[in-house]
Amino acid sequence: MDTLKLEIVTPEGQIFSNDVKDVTLPGSEGEFGVYPGHASLVSLLQAGVIDIELGDGKHEIVAINWGHAKVDENSVTVLADGAVSVGGNSEGEIARSLENAQKLIESMSDSDVAIATATAKIESIAKSGR
Amino acid sequence: MSNLKEIKRKIKSVENTKKTTRAMKLVSTAKLNRAKLAAQQSRVYADKINEVLSEIAYKINQYKIGGIESRFFDEISAPEKVDIVFVTADKGLCGGFNIQTIKAVSKLMEEYKDKKVKVRLRGVGKKGMAFFKFQDIELHSEYAGVSSAPTYEKAQEIISEAIDDFTAGVTDKVILVHNGYKNMIAQELKINSIVPVSPPVDFESNSESLMELEPEEDETILESLMKKYFEYNMYYSLIDSLAAEHSARMQAMENATNNATDRVNLLTLAYNKARQESITTELIEIISGVESMK
Repeated sequence: MDTLKLEIVTPEGQIFSNDVKDVTLPGSEGEFGVYPGHASLVSLLQAGVIDIELGDGKHEIVAINWGHAKVDENSVTVLADGAVSVGGNSEGEIARSLENAQKLIESMSDSDVAIATATAKIESIAKSGR
Repeated sequence: MSNLKEIKRKIKSVENTKKTTRAMKLVSTAKLNRAKLAAQQSRVYADKINEVLSEIAYKINQYKIGGIESRFFDEISAPEKVDIVFVTADKGLCGGFNIQTIKAVSKLMEEYKDKKVKVRLRGVGKKGMAFFKFQDIELHSEYAGVSSAPTYEKAQEIISEAIDDFTAGVTDKVILVHNGYKNMIAQELKINSIVPVSPPVDFESNSESLMELEPEEDETILESLMKKYFEYNMYYSLIDSLAAEHSARMQAMENATNNATDRVNLLTLAYNKARQESITTELIEIISGVESMK
């Protein structure tokens, strides 16, 4: 199976680096999904969540506030200003990271729609227990 | 006797110096750890953004995509005006750290002067500013007090002027010079031409397809990406330089402490010799006094 090499970096360090099956990014022109073999693309990203599908079908969520994505056939690089990985081993940890992610998005985005969409998405994924 | 007292005073003074240098070393070690961590963390981002820009530069040159700000990517064979932004420390007592940067800047200036290129200097850090002022070389702009506490906002401020001039066509090239952190005992001088952006000579793109930009109707994406790239490079230079400064100071102070120890040993030896000498002289005096009374 083809995989994409996904890297998410922020000025504070690397948030994510792994091979993934596909990834959905919050582009400024709208959300878009990337599968292996995608044409080269550089896109502006807005506040929202990056939905990552790992090789084993599990999902991982990273919330970002603003950034750029560079896509080519077999890799995706996301340069974000701020990013919070949502998840954890215990329920407390997950709740805390959710809260951080929402704060991050709210602090950066002035559009209520974007906040609502992102929040809803985070919540639905958190509820489904990933 | 006066000789003895003098040596004793010297020993005391060297020991006090040693205390100071040792304390400075400890302070630098602590600060180094913090600065190193900050530099390491943001290194990933700096590397990535450079990689992305290299790829874009490569593709733009390869396919000659028109309509986008190509001035940022066109390597000019004969630049007429060059801006050099250099970063030095605000404080001394760190060995050859500042001198290395200053020498590199002077060398660059010479090279450009030979090619009849006008060079403007933008200096960060008191030490470099003081040096060029003493040499009667004019600095286009000066930023003091940034080196010891770099923030992203300050980096933005410094680089934005240089970039504005470049965008307006006042300068053809911007070069960033700083002394960076290599490891605990070594620094590495880094000279980085930030605009025009050119991919490394051995750059190989792992994708051959045409690159699309989104949103494509305007140039905001490239503009914002470039802005980020400049600011980040500047910021990285500042924090990398700070880490290097502390490692250089740590080493300089370590050497100074060792030298002080050696000096104390030498002086103690001299003191003991002088003491023995005076005892011998006194003994001779007493004995000869007794002898003469017989």
